[in-house]
Amino acid sequence: MYACLYRPPALSACGDFSHDRRAALSGPPDRGPARPEVHRGERPALQPIASLAAIAQEFSPRYECHRDDLVSIDVSGLERLLGPARTIGEQLRRDAASRGMRVHVAVAGTRMAAIVLAHARPGVTIVEPGGEAEALAPIAIGVLEKAPAAMPAGASATRDAHARHQRAGVGPREKVKDIDEALESALAAFKAWGLKTLGELAALPSADLASRLGRQALVWQALARGEDVRPLVPTLDEERFESSVELEWPIEGLEPLSFVLTRLLEPLSTRLERRDRGAAVLHVLLRLVTKDSHARRLELPAPMRDVRTLRTLALLDLESHPPAAAIDRVAIVIDPTPGRVLQHTLFTRAQPTPEQLSTLVARLGALMGQDRLGAPAVVDSYRPGAFAMTPFKTEHPSTSFMARGAPPPRAEDLALERRLSRSGDGCLTSLVSAVRRCRNPVPARVAVDNGRPVRVTTDRRGFVGGTVVMCAGPWRTSGDWWNATEDLRRPVLDTREGNGPSASGAGVGPRAFNKDEWDVALTDGAVYRIFQDRDTDAWFIDAIVD
Amino acid sequence: MPLARADLESLLRTRRLDRTLTTALPPLDPAGIPDDYACAPTGHTALDARLSGGFPRGQLSEIVGPRSAGRTSLLLQMLAAATARGELVALVDALDMLDVASAEAAGVQLDRLLWIRGHVVSNPGMCRDLNQRALEQAIRAFTLVLQAGNFGIVAFDVGEAPMDAIRRLPFTTWMRLQRLIEGSQTAGVLVGSDSMARSSAGLTLRLGIRDSGSARSAPPSASERGWGPASIEKSIRFRGRLFDGLDMEARVIRARARYHDDVRVPLSTTCA
Repeated sequence: MYACLYRPPALSACGDFSHDRRAALSGPPDRGPARPEVHRGERPALQPIASLAAIAQEFSPRYECHRDDLVSIDVSGLERLLGPARTIGEQLRRDAASRGMRVHVAVAGTRMAAIVLAHARPGVTIVEPGGEAEALAPIAIGVLEKAPAAMPAGASATRDAHARHQRAGVGPREKVKDIDEALESALAAFKAWGLKTLGELAALPSADLASRLGRQALVWQALARGEDVRPLVPTLDEERFESSVELEWPIEGLEPLSFVLTRLLEPLSTRLERRDRGAAVLHVLLRLVTKDSHARRLELPAPMRDVRTLRTLALLDLESHPPAAAIDRVAIVIDPTPGRVLQHTLFTRAQPTPEQLSTLVARLGALMGQDRLGAPAVVDSYRPGAFAMTPFKTEHPSTSFMARGAPPPRAEDLALERRLSRSGDGCLTSLVSAVRRCRNPVPARVAVDNGRPVRVTTDRRGFVGGTVVMCAGPWRTSGDWWNATEDLRRPVLDTREGNGPSASGAGVGPRAFNKDEWDVALTDGAVYRIFQDRDTDAWFIDAIVD
Repeated sequence: MPLARADLESLLRTRRLDRTLTTALPPLDPAGIPDDYACAPTGHTALDARLSGGFPRGQLSEIVGPRSAGRTSLLLQMLAAATARGELVALVDALDMLDVASAEAAGVQLDRLLWIRGHVVSNPGMCRDLNQRALEQAIRAFTLVLQAGNFGIVAFDVGEAPMDAIRRLPFTTWMRLQRLIEGSQTAGVLVGSDSMARSSAGLTLRLGIRDSGSARSAPPSASERGWGPASIEKSIRFRGRLFDGLDMEARVIRARARYHDDVRVPLSTTCA
């Protein structure tokens, strides 16, 4: 015997339970990763699914959460404890009312019948075993649209799976949409045939129905007859992945801590693997001998459960943020996320795994500083040498050997190719001229004759300078005067790190620039890009053509 | 009982002794088709053809030459070709001199480039060891990237660093790096003004401005070169009021048992 709790939208106590069809197809709720208590500032508002699940848990461990507002419970055997089915239904309703919820309750011999009845009838509905079809017969056929998440294998199970995959980011959204459209077309067909109640649908010959609407129509007919097509799949609580150890003697260094971390992480990794989960966030909670706590939170770029990687990342983070005193208790909490599915092929080149790249980036960040590494990015600016740094992605799409050529060229690239290709057969025979930027422009002494530089010298070691053999210019560039404050409009030899948006200091706008640039070839055989600051008339070496 | 040469070589391989003692170089493809697993193509057709595919993987190679010899242009072209093949590349920019606009113009897919910027300061003042420490730090970063493995190309750019600073590095540095990279699919590329690693199995490519038919064979020094304005004008192209590009030459000066003749490839750069 099954009971079903359904909370209609109008009776919702909290939250927005608009019965959007897409929300209805979302399947079992995604509760998200478990958070450690130490980071939970305050408990979130009680979610409806939590309430319905809590009610279900009090009656039976075998319950299935179909939607946020729909739970079915296996109440078989409760008759001996609580009494007949009506008593069980009343008890469920009272329990919900005590929690501030008004729900529809239906108790029937099959789960499908209970679900449909809970959607169709308010209050408590009891159907004796064997009377499901009769109880469902007068219900309008439109109720099918309201209870799709409970649909069995042919429709709902597939749909739930698709929805789960969609949440995990591994499934195409189009498939869920397709099933949705199939349901709509089936309902439209029923309407065109003049079917108004579930009883009329149940009375149709199954073979003819399947031949016209496909196998999926049989599922709707089974629902109309109150037959279960798939068994109840109990909803399990999301497992908390945490482990801690009290140390007999406080430890001070990171080296002994690594052994403790390994001991804690190994069982956690095993549990994650069994549940097909990966770590999304790693919390390292240290209790110090001073009774203070030292908590670190590592957001991992990709789901991972490799013990060595997690330990290394935790140690590298603690190396840059060491605890203030010795440690006497260590706890690890992992926020789980669905595991990563990788399918390697013979036709793609092996690339560093996200674990390797995460470890590498963490090690490099500890060595060089977090702001000194990443992927470069161009910025929309006229300032010469402007750039930005973006975090280096740890997951890159593999490129098949079949399509390992260059990506589709842009129009400007094709124009450049035409300039560079000189052999006539499309082969690249020329390189794009590149420059090396001096992040701090090198002050220079420039002799000018007839408005053109004739000699460039500097005091900087490595920049000898010489007589100008050839030169090209000037090109005047200026910018950022429109948003620079007065003191910032004063030209400075600032570091170019301030040019990129990510590197610019908070609250400080970009500095104005106003200069005349020249390309000069000197007698030392090198070509330099020099500029004269138009506000101070000072000359600088800005870049080296190489 | 004397050991046969094959046995001896087998033993040497087992002990992973230096490849100068073994014949571990990948065989050249008789059909002349470059093998992407053995070599990292530069993306320059003529150069790849003369280098039998490109720079060898699993070895430390070098691009050396004076300032304005096209080292950066060639390096960026290599990185662009590698990222177009779907590889991840890394650049340890010890002196923080990469021009991102140049990289993009060369066709480098920037999201596949791990850029590690050094801490070298332009004016260390009294702290003369500051830049030396920064250089050693860059070497450690280079080591970490090589240890991570699976990058297509890992470049270490010290093109503007003074050679005396490079020479002050422990002499085992390059041998250690060579051992790290051996057997991997990574092509290690050092960019400098003069040869540093002197790897026997790697490739050393010296770039120079074309001058009287041969590339410069010595490190940059204007006085030593004794160039006249005429030769510079011949190698550096200006078109009207625009700098147009460089005409240079690449010469293989070290590549064990690969090339029996003097390999020289004319190269030119063009402003994008």
